[in-house]
Amino acid sequence: MRPRPRTSAPGPALSRRQAISRSAAATLAATRVLGPGLFAGCSLGIPRRAATVPVGMLHSQTGTMAISETSLRDIELHAFERINAAGGLLGRQLVARAPDTRSRPEIFVRRARELLEEGVVAAFGCWTSTSRKAVLPLFEEHKKLLFYPVQYEGNESSPYVVSGGSLPNQQVLPAIDWLMSPAGGSKKKIFLLGSDYVYPRTVNYIVRRQLDSMELRPAGEVYVPLGQRDFTTAVQQILFSNADCVLSTVNGDSNLGLFAALAEARVDPDKLPVVSTSIAEDELRGLLPRQVQGHYAVSSYFQSLDTDANRRWIDGFRDEFGRDRVTDDPMEPAWCLVHLWKAAVEKAGTFETEAVRQAIRDGLEFAGPGGTIRLDPKTQHCTKYFRLGRIRPDRQFDIVHASALPIDPDPYPQVAFPGWKCDWTDGGVSRGQEVSIDGDV
Amino acid sequence: MTDDLFWIYDIPPKELALGLVALFVGFYWAGAVLVRPILRQFVKNTPGANDIVGYILSCFCVFYGLLLGLIAVTAYQNVSDAGENVTREAAALSALYEDASRYPEPHGQNLRWLLRDYTRYVIKYAWPLQQRGIVPEEGTIRAEAFHDRLLDFQPKSPAEEILHAEALRQLNHFLECRRMRLFSVKSALPTSMWYVMILGAFFNIMLCWMFNMKLISHIVLGGILSAYLGTMMYLIVDMNQPFRGDVSISAEPYELLYRRMNED
Repeated sequence: MRPRPRTSAPGPALSRRQAISRSAAATLAATRVLGPGLFAGCSLGIPRRAATVPVGMLHSQTGTMAISETSLRDIELHAFERINAAGGLLGRQLVARAPDTRSRPEIFVRRARELLEEGVVAAFGCWTSTSRKAVLPLFEEHKKLLFYPVQYEGNESSPYVVSGGSLPNQQVLPAIDWLMSPAGGSKKKIFLLGSDYVYPRTVNYIVRRQLDSMELRPAGEVYVPLGQRDFTTAVQQILFSNADCVLSTVNGDSNLGLFAALAEARVDPDKLPVVSTSIAEDELRGLLPRQVQGHYAVSSYFQSLDTDANRRWIDGFRDEFGRDRVTDDPMEPAWCLVHLWKAAVEKAGTFETEAVRQAIRDGLEFAGPGGTIRLDPKTQHCTKYFRLGRIRPDRQFDIVHASALPIDPDPYPQVAFPGWKCDWTDGGVSRGQEVSIDGDV
Repeated sequence: MTDDLFWIYDIPPKELALGLVALFVGFYWAGAVLVRPILRQFVKNTPGANDIVGYILSCFCVFYGLLLGLIAVTAYQNVSDAGENVTREAAALSALYEDASRYPEPHGQNLRWLLRDYTRYVIKYAWPLQQRGIVPEEGTIRAEAFHDRLLDFQPKSPAEEILHAEALRQLNHFLECRRMRLFSVKSALPTSMWYVMILGAFFNIMLCWMFNMKLISHIVLGGILSAYLGTMMYLIVDMNQPFRGDVSISAEPYELLYRRMNED
């Protein structure tokens, strides 16, 4: 057989080693070129993890304030969960960080610092004015917003605090007006009873100034240490003063002792009603109905508010946290504040504090369970409805009076702080006449 | 090492199993084409080379098989122990909830709320974190809140004293089980064991490459062996983390309890 003629010149013979190394190199080169195209879009089936953004919560989960603040944590968590379930905020899932502030101001400071250093975009929390005042410098230093949901005494304003609770001009002063009206029994002799700390003392200072403007004087003024449960002496003082109503700024567990002592002294709520600023559905759980029935509380929200929005909100909360949970005044503003912040972030298109503040300055509204409220750009406080409720035997409230419209916030009521003004759209706080709250007592 | 490879557990189980099998088979096949000719140089002129390689391979497989078997049992035991802790914690929580229902109001209601809150946290927040290998921290706050609230109670009758003592005993048991659950979040095979296991698989495959067989025989027989090695690896990887993968512990005991708590 004749050999086949060669059609090309023979190249140098390849050794096996060379062949292997060349084919390995060719394979690697081909993988490098074709790999990205072939595997583009492949994720090995790993679900993409959603982008997140941290949000802080400063609430005491142990200690004296735990029983009140835990409800705020729960409602805020509920709001974050709802927002996340609806797709998050600006495409990001909110990751709530909720360390325990243990009802101690120094722990509030420590936890706030940790949260701010972790990079939370905003924080929601605090209950007592002491805790709020303790963390405020940190938020101002880090230029982050603190959303504060609880009623407080006013006489304070910061560009980095957005407040959702009632101010005295939205809660206590309308209560005085109502008590003095024919519907409220035309009361003139008001006894001021409070726990001994900044909120009751400032509120009572404002009430005194209001009474002064009407040429009236309080029937008496007594403070008891926060946490004290023996009110025998205080009730005797009320009875001797011949007062026709009591404005109570007594806080926390002390209310147990106050109403027990009133019941012991057989005080008739129809003749000597107690109007409390710091009693809500949560606190009423610990009180005996026969001791509190017929007395009053002032608030911007009551669970018994008969609206569809409120019923839906209560149902949503109870579906998540249990059918026996109650809702109350601080919880409603806490819910509203989370949604107002959400609206501000959406409007700003970023989580950046200054952009969010600008969105607040442009004006925001939210239809909450207690009605539609507006975030006032000048004071960074919310407009609030005034509602006055009478305590029922089931430890809920009959709403006996409500303002027709939400009341604008005023951290510095002119009757008490003449010349003081707050306008964060135009320079901030203008100082007026110096006043001495403690010296006035 | 296992911490660095946590992303593995984000792959759905079926894809992970197929991926590991494909990796081992692919490695064997690639080696059979590219490396086998080099390795065979070492035994090419040795008479009865296949018998020698076969003898060594069978010795090796005894050790390696034992190792794999023991590791698989250990991993399964880890999962099983963690599962038992979870069940015991849920049972202790349930008993505590029953005790809390016997306290006078509003103390009992406050205690029940705190336990419900804890259970909800475990289901909604702690479990997803555990599944990512992160020890959840905020449950401790909730457990402490319950502990504090329980200690606030001052019994006023012998019956309340007995109830309170029993609740405190149950609480200690619950805290112990809870701590065990948290410990097991990070429990996994030691890194050195993974090295030995992977190295063993590599040697196993290398020894197979040394057999003097046709390429097609290598492709078929070696492929089967490698596929099974990949399956074993999948099983161990899957069981390595008690709260991750297909063979993992679910939050079902807490979910059942939470449903019951909300029915009350």
